[in-house]
Amino acid sequence: MLIPILLGISIAIFLIMQLIPGDVVSGILGIEETPELRAMWEKKLGIDKPLVTQYFNWISGVVRGDFGESFRTGAKVFPEILWRFSISAELAILACIVAWIIAFPLGILSALKRNSFIDRIVRVAALLGVSVPGFAFATLLILFLALVFGYYPPIKYVSLMQNPLKNLEIMILPAIVLGSSMAGSVMRMTRSSMLEVLRQDFIKAVRAKGAPERITIMRHAFRNASIPIVTLVGMQIGILMGGTVVIEQIFSIPGLGQYLLTGIFQRDFPIVQGTVLFMATIYVIINLLVDILYTYIDPRITYS
Amino acid sequence: MSDKKTYVDRRLPTGDSLLKQLWQDPLGRAGFLGILFILLLALFAPIIARYDVAQINSKARLAAPSGTYWFGTDNFGRDIFSRIVYGAQVSLLVGVVSVSIAAGIGYLFGLAAGFFEGKVESTIMMLMDIIFAFPSILLALLIVAVLGTSIVNTMIAIGIVNIPVFARTVRASVKAVKGTDYIANARSVGLKNSVILFRHITPNSLAPFTVQATLALSSAILTEATMSFLGLGIQPPNPSWGSMLSEARTYMEMAPWMVVFPALFIIFTILSFNILGDALRDALDPKLKL
Amino acid sequence: MKRILSLVLALLMALSLTATAQEPMVLKYGTDAEPIGFDPHTVPALASTRIMLQMYETLVDVDENMNVVPLLAETWEQPDDLTYIFHLRKGVKFHSGREMKAEDVKYSFERILNPDLGALGNSASYAGYIEKVEVLDEYSVKFTLKQINAPFLSALASSYLSIVDKEAVEAAGGNLLQSSGGTGPFVLGEWVPDNSVTVHRFEDYWQEGVKFERIEFYVITDPSARMSALRTGEVDLIVGDSAMLSLAEKAKNVEIYKVRSRNYTTLCLNLNKEELKDVRVRQAISLALNRQEIIDLAFNGEAEISGFAPASMGHWAVDVLEHPLYQQDVEKAKELMKEAGYENGFTLTCTVGLLDSIRNSGTVIQQQLAAIGINVDVQNKENAQYVDDWKTHNFDLMVCQNGAGTDPNRAVAFFFSTTGSANIAEYSNPRVDELCELAAGTTNVDQRREYYHEAINIILDECPNVTFASPYDYIYASTDLKGYAPTASNMVNFRFAYIEK
Repeated sequence: MLIPILLGISIAIFLIMQLIPGDVVSGILGIEETPELRAMWEKKLGIDKPLVTQYFNWISGVVRGDFGESFRTGAKVFPEILWRFSISAELAILACIVAWIIAFPLGILSALKRNSFIDRIVRVAALLGVSVPGFAFATLLILFLALVFGYYPPIKYVSLMQNPLKNLEIMILPAIVLGSSMAGSVMRMTRSSMLEVLRQDFIKAVRAKGAPERITIMRHAFRNASIPIVTLVGMQIGILMGGTVVIEQIFSIPGLGQYLLTGIFQRDFPIVQGTVLFMATIYVIINLLVDILYTYIDPRITYS
Repeated sequence: MSDKKTYVDRRLPTGDSLLKQLWQDPLGRAGFLGILFILLLALFAPIIARYDVAQINSKARLAAPSGTYWFGTDNFGRDIFSRIVYGAQVSLLVGVVSVSIAAGIGYLFGLAAGFFEGKVESTIMMLMDIIFAFPSILLALLIVAVLGTSIVNTMIAIGIVNIPVFARTVRASVKAVKGTDYIANARSVGLKNSVILFRHITPNSLAPFTVQATLALSSAILTEATMSFLGLGIQPPNPSWGSMLSEARTYMEMAPWMVVFPALFIIFTILSFNILGDALRDALDPKLKL
Repeated sequence: MKRILSLVLALLMALSLTATAQEPMVLKYGTDAEPIGFDPHTVPALASTRIMLQMYETLVDVDENMNVVPLLAETWEQPDDLTYIFHLRKGVKFHSGREMKAEDVKYSFERILNPDLGALGNSASYAGYIEKVEVLDEYSVKFTLKQINAPFLSALASSYLSIVDKEAVEAAGGNLLQSSGGTGPFVLGEWVPDNSVTVHRFEDYWQEGVKFERIEFYVITDPSARMSALRTGEVDLIVGDSAMLSLAEKAKNVEIYKVRSRNYTTLCLNLNKEELKDVRVRQAISLALNRQEIIDLAFNGEAEISGFAPASMGHWAVDVLEHPLYQQDVEKAKELMKEAGYENGFTLTCTVGLLDSIRNSGTVIQQQLAAIGINVDVQNKENAQYVDDWKTHNFDLMVCQNGAGTDPNRAVAFFFSTTGSANIAEYSNPRVDELCELAAGTTNVDQRREYYHEAINIILDECPNVTFASPYDYIYASTDLKGYAPTASNMVNFRFAYIEK
């Protein structure tokens, strides 16, 4: 099931890039273009060959782990994707941590005290988190910090290995921005799942047996409520892959989304094709993992 | 006895009882009123707006909000209030049309997949998975890059991106209803497929579909704003809230009102749709019916 | 007594030594775009050029009065119209430590002219007319041209014709995208893509007095974030535009550098379009424009009304301030439209790109042309599409920003001669072609000026382009930055700059 989808995606992205007007050579040569220079560059990049040949050259490289080189810089695509992915993944994980710290406790609280004042506040806060566009929040946050505190996050990117503290300082603001919008949906999902489960008969039975409230909640309710939450989180990590694009741009973080966006704007086919394929693969793998997690959490679910 | 599931009536409650339920929930009321407000703004824009949307006035650049210019002016001297009001038209239009495209096509796909199952279902769902696997913003950007930037193409792009969500929801609903004894009875009486599909299955699938549509509206508006921010959505000088926000970035400190008002309206609209969606979900959830 | 004095002196010297042995001086430069590699022969992007100008040098340079001055070549002569002999400066070292000699010049140009490389200098505007390059002796090179080409000398100042180190190129596998092989004051260091590029001082640089130990270029795409970074001291210098001017003026620690550029912004008309074939319509368009208003709204007032031979071209420039077609006269414009038979007006599309000033100019022009009945539909294209439309002439109107270049041949022939590769208006005038050829075929400066002025005036009257402004370039820097004097020829010359708190 995996392979046909990925194959389909590889063909889709290849065709889409061919359909977009403008090409990398115009971008490189710009106003200096002459027919001779164009011919030289097309030959150099291999884009003067028929489409089918180009596709096969690319895809046969891909299965061997060679995603080709960037049209513009000549740098190998796959190692670049991996490095950038590690950065985006770090951002995604930090965002998730921020989101979970906010969302789980509040979501559970809100479900327990349904229709109370706290519940209402939490619901509105969650809605706000989901309704504020990330780029608006990010831009305003930077402006606020610069004006009020004279603070600007360090601009030179250092990796986690090189300097953990500085790296965290760089990543914390974008993680907060991303995390807050995630927190909104996780909060709501937690709340509704908990409500669903709390209502069920067997919870009443457990309560009737006289088990302490806390144990009841933790062990039984949360475990059952976690199914849709796991789904949601799986979906969100997948969404985060692409959703970091704007945030990466605003905070100058050299992530995968930024790489792809630049590739699209510059019509750098190997970069776009490689990155899209990679993102789709990760997404599919995560979905698979989520499905597997299901079978552990709820043994009632079986797959034919 | 048959091993078919028992039929649970999932059809939408009749119009006025639904509205009554929504009205009673304070959040539902808020969402409904919020959307009504934006809708009225959009419908009566020509009357409410005080100036021509594209009227450039170099002497009134970057003016702060005042009696003459309620929301201030932008870097071209255009009245922001009038642009916000017309922007409501654009944002709602883009939202409604793109969600209609997504819902319409998604519905047909979901219906076919859920009802016919087998090869039909797996082909359709694979197509849906392919679309779904692309990060949504990037897919929308790619589509617009291919088609060119325009309002129509933005609608198409956001529409295509949202198809899978509808297809999946409808498919799940259809499958849930299909296996019931109610439908088995309909079949045994000899009703044609098409009749079963449209007269019996469809009404029972509408509940989650409606909730999804409301939430998709808010997501569409958010996507449009993000696309405009990246420069590939609605193009200036058309007054869409997203592009107004994007243009305002450079002047953020000098003229904060250029940022504040479009941002407020975007957030308000998205919030209203989300609140309404939540309230609808609560109202339509059969399990909550007592 | 003497002993105490010498002790005190020694102490003072020690103190001053420790004072100078403090932190290395670093320049942090906030830019707007990611560079795409650093091979001076094949990479045109501005974001890369800024950095390549630190690493590579050319035979000659052009100063702000458009005079050719020595750089790597100390002197030169022209025994006949087709021959140029350059005498190189001695003792110039490449980054590898090897001395630059005449063979390296020969190698560099042969590399540029190699058809497999796709070098940007390999075209008629630059090195395309070179027949052969010969080494006369260790420090002398002879260029022979295929035909007389007056712009050749000033074209040699282009970074596309930088002198590179043959050994460095070969060691890097044929391209310099990620390594250094030049003679410039800085050497390529670390490159963190989409984030920063660092260059380190080249200790054997042939000029003395480079104070910065390294320069760090940062990519901060969001303009307001860039300005914030400058104001909080995270960076010392940023790429900016006129929109940020009022913010920069208010900030106490920001110095504003304003440079008159050789760029101009113009409205290109596609002469293939039926309505635009009539010169009266084109003149009407020129008369309908209120250029000052465009400047106020699209350039924040920070530009000069200009034709396509802007004032920064010195004696080559043609002043348009008094030109009849450059005064707004809507009534006259309407009359011309009526005469041409277009009293009821018509619709045109206007293609604009992402650059703020270009896009905003489009918006203002749309409104101004509406007054004479031309209904303009503005189409915003993103970069690759814009370049594509430019190349395929797929537009009715297009707002462009062009550079007038270092030689008037560029400003005139490149854009307006029938075979000019940037002649996207598809304008053709035999007299203009003749004048361009005559002017390229003689090295007599006064004569050339006469020819060009005549050609420019013809073009101004015929309006294949309706030019409106030559913008100022702005660089915003920390008030601690000293010794920095940007000019239109070179805005990133940091050889003699330093930071003093």
